[in-house]
Amino acid sequence: MLEQQLINGLTLGLIYALIAVGYTMVYGVIQLINFAHGEIYMLGAFFCVTFITAAGMPFYVAILMAIICCMLCGILLDIIAYRPLRKAPRLAALITAIGMSIFLQNVALIIWGSRSRPFPQGALPPFFREKALVMGDISLTWLQLFIFAVAIIMMLGLYLTINKTRIGTAMRALAQNKTAASLMGINVNYVISFTFALGSAMGAVAGILVSVYYNTLYPTMGYTAGVKAFAAAVLGGIGSVPGAMVGGVVLGVAEALGAGYVSSLYRDGVAYAVMIAVIIFRPSGILGRSVVDKA
Amino acid sequence: MTPLLEIDGISKRFGGLLALTDVSFNVIEGEILGLIGPNGAGKTTMFNCIAGVYKPTSGNLVFTRDEKSLRINGRKPEKMTELGIARTFQNIRLFSALTVLDNVRIARHCRTTSNFFRSVLRTRFQRAEEKEIVDASMRWLDFVGLGHHALADASSLSYGDQRRLEIARALATEPKLLLLDEPAAGMNPRETRMLVDLIHAILDAGVSVMLIEHDMKLVMKICKRLVVLDHGTLIAEGGPKEVRENPQVIEAYLGRGAAHA
Amino acid sequence: MNIGKSLILLIVAAVLTYPLVPQSSDYIIHVMTLAMVYMILAMGLNIVPGFCGLLDLGYVGFYGIGAYTAGLLTIHYDMSFWVIVPLAALNGALWGALLGAPTLRLTGDYFAIVTFGFSELVVLFLTNEIWLTRGPLGLPGIQPITVNLTWLNEAWYFQFYDKTPNFYVVALLVGLVFFIMRRMEDSRLGRAWYAIREDPLAAASCGVNILNYKVIAFAISAAIGAVGGCFYARWSMFLSPDMFKFWESFLVLCMVVLGGLGNIKGALLGAVILVCLGEVLREVLTSLGLPPETRFMAYGLIMVLIMRFKPSGFFPAIASSGRSNPLLLDLQKRLAARNAPKDEARDAAA
Ligand SMILES: Nc1ncnc2c1ncn2[C@@H]1O[C@H](COP(=O)(O)OP(=O)(O)OP(=O)(O)O)[C@@H](O)[C@H]1O
Ligand SMILES: [Mg+2]
Repeated sequence: MLEQQLINGLTLGLIYALIAVGYTMVYGVIQLINFAHGEIYMLGAFFCVTFITAAGMPFYVAILMAIICCMLCGILLDIIAYRPLRKAPRLAALITAIGMSIFLQNVALIIWGSRSRPFPQGALPPFFREKALVMGDISLTWLQLFIFAVAIIMMLGLYLTINKTRIGTAMRALAQNKTAASLMGINVNYVISFTFALGSAMGAVAGILVSVYYNTLYPTMGYTAGVKAFAAAVLGGIGSVPGAMVGGVVLGVAEALGAGYVSSLYRDGVAYAVMIAVIIFRPSGILGRSVVDKA
Repeated sequence: MTPLLEIDGISKRFGGLLALTDVSFNVIEGEILGLIGPNGAGKTTMFNCIAGVYKPTSGNLVFTRDEKSLRINGRKPEKMTELGIARTFQNIRLFSALTVLDNVRIARHCRTTSNFFRSVLRTRFQRAEEKEIVDASMRWLDFVGLGHHALADASSLSYGDQRRLEIARALATEPKLLLLDEPAAGMNPRETRMLVDLIHAILDAGVSVMLIEHDMKLVMKICKRLVVLDHGTLIAEGGPKEVRENPQVIEAYLGRGAAHA
Repeated sequence: MNIGKSLILLIVAAVLTYPLVPQSSDYIIHVMTLAMVYMILAMGLNIVPGFCGLLDLGYVGFYGIGAYTAGLLTIHYDMSFWVIVPLAALNGALWGALLGAPTLRLTGDYFAIVTFGFSELVVLFLTNEIWLTRGPLGLPGIQPITVNLTWLNEAWYFQFYDKTPNFYVVALLVGLVFFIMRRMEDSRLGRAWYAIREDPLAAASCGVNILNYKVIAFAISAAIGAVGGCFYARWSMFLSPDMFKFWESFLVLCMVVLGGLGNIKGALLGAVILVCLGEVLREVLTSLGLPPETRFMAYGLIMVLIMRFKPSGFFPAIASSGRSNPLLLDLQKRLAARNAPKDEARDAAA
């Protein structure tokens, strides 16, 4: 039983981690909590389903197209909403982020309706629901394996992008010191757009995986998932990409165990409580730097 | 005689950078002490340690007020202000959306006490205190020559006036020691002359002054005593003439301030 | 010069006498009462983002705490509304201080997310602690507000089932909160908050203990939210956890933003405009076959556009209460007198 909970938690945690890196990367480069990131995740799922049902695309192609659409959305979000406020007070940008989140959520509500819908099962590879591995009482479906694989590949890709490419170096430079970075000839806006695109791609994948895993998607799905992923980012230390990965997994497991052993009623509460506790007692998170207001 | 402020072996480390290394000197009551040094020498860092913005990595700060000596390193900025240490900022930090008067009224905070209940009920005490706040603020604004601008927005003032408003704001906290971080920066010659008069008036009002300034002519004119920092260490201390002739100081400034000095 | 002021007074008077008109519509009284509940909330929330510059995303949590405090005290102890208001305010302030003290040290964005998490936890608590709150079933049968003056006259016992007396009770509360807000704004307390909003480091150098004043702001704001909830409980006579979801926080924040952060009168106008807009949109959207929740799209858009094009809101803080303080009027006169001779001299020279 415990092992099964752990596996379920791990699956969920990897998905949180995928979303959390989006928060953390954006926070790293422009010090903004992009509240609308949860909506990008939701859009990922809806785009994917729409491409399958309306355009009749195969599953994998639809995923790819959804990722591209979400990357565009992320870039547009930054250019339209956040870029004009780079020099404005932090509060203005935060309020804008909240406003965009609500706006996008309701756009989705208008386009796709408020009812939750199932993921079109016909489009999925038929073996997804079959058990891949059975050991005693624990079992692992192909779908779970697929989620593990995708999440891990995405994380590896992200790690390599950040650490081994020119643009990744530019991102890290920007996170360290924006003025110095722009003096060194880094095109700041380009790097920020790239960061949004990268984060949105990860978010889109997470949205698709979740809607397949739970076989449901609805316009407000970005709301709780977004906050939980943010909690994961905080847990790992905001601004730290490896931290977000670790935080996501820890949170997913904690949530599964909490729901299993404490009270399933407070399932979402675990994330909030963990987040508040971390912020109060160790605001720099597991792997992050200090955030106490200097003044 | 005990010094007003004793700086005893202060060091401040930022990660790998030692911004101050074992700096010791005294500020004597009633003097204008000049703190000079090339860019990045650690002057502002020293001010921030004294004003409580940074906690010194090691060393002691001892402040004497009313015959009592207190070890004050690591106290919070508001505590330092309460004790009688006020400061201005190198890059002006006014409450720019508020009026000139409000900028100074806020500085009366630590010398007044009205709380939520008194404010809401507007008790007789609170009204008297508010009147006292306005009067004191106007006194300090007139002192720096900004009284007639009292109801203007702080952001509408000229650069030189903003610097003087910062000084008025600092003075309104009733300090014993005033830390001025490059007050003449960006001032025209007329404003600089007025600043010299103002600093002397501050001294006459019983406030000791510590002054960071790059304008050597100004420093040499008004400071009886100078402390020179370079790369976080104290390299010279003494009267203007002594310091000017100190080979170490000349070397530190070589190619830049040397011509001025 | 006072045409604007007279006009406003006239409108306020008209609104206040409306329920006494025999043909008055219950619906309009209901909407006005609701708008006034939101006025209380908007004024209370305004303290945190408007005066201190911190984003509070969990205001509804305190509103909920106030409402359930009132509901439970009414049902179980049959307490009078007038006793419950201060108790609920105290309870709100207590939670505000408990939450604020450890988290207000942190940068603003962390604070925003903590408040959000807190209000979600409040909803979870209200939903799941069935022994106390009956959970999703809600809390029905809360007695309406009463006024018991039997100690003056045997017959003077009133129970406010009707809309009209409730309208006046909430108007009274709005007046009270408005009064408190204006006095706080023009005081040592208000100035300390403004200083923190403008520049925390400079504020600290002026002797303001930033953490303390932020906690005070948060606690007072929470107390006002709880008072709003208190009235709401006794007016609607039914509470359920759904009423205190994040949407409400968002709506109130939008009112504050629309009215201009830190602008007390603006918050009042923001509340009126958004409550009316909400009613209109509800009709329009339903007739278009859209779910009424989609009206939040408009609110989101309003917030984004205001932050982009008019960050100080639509209504300039023309006369913040400080300027009409007799002390300042007096100072203004003195300054004018002082500057006048100079002007004459300059004119003569020219
Ligand atoms: N908060 C900080 N974190 C890291 N390094 C800092 C910090 N503050 C100052 N420094 C470093 O400490 C050194 C001294 O800086 P400081 O501002 O005290 O110089 P200064 O003498 O005031 O120079 P200037 O004349 O240019 O104002 C500099 O190298 C600076 O980069
Ligand atoms: Mg400096």
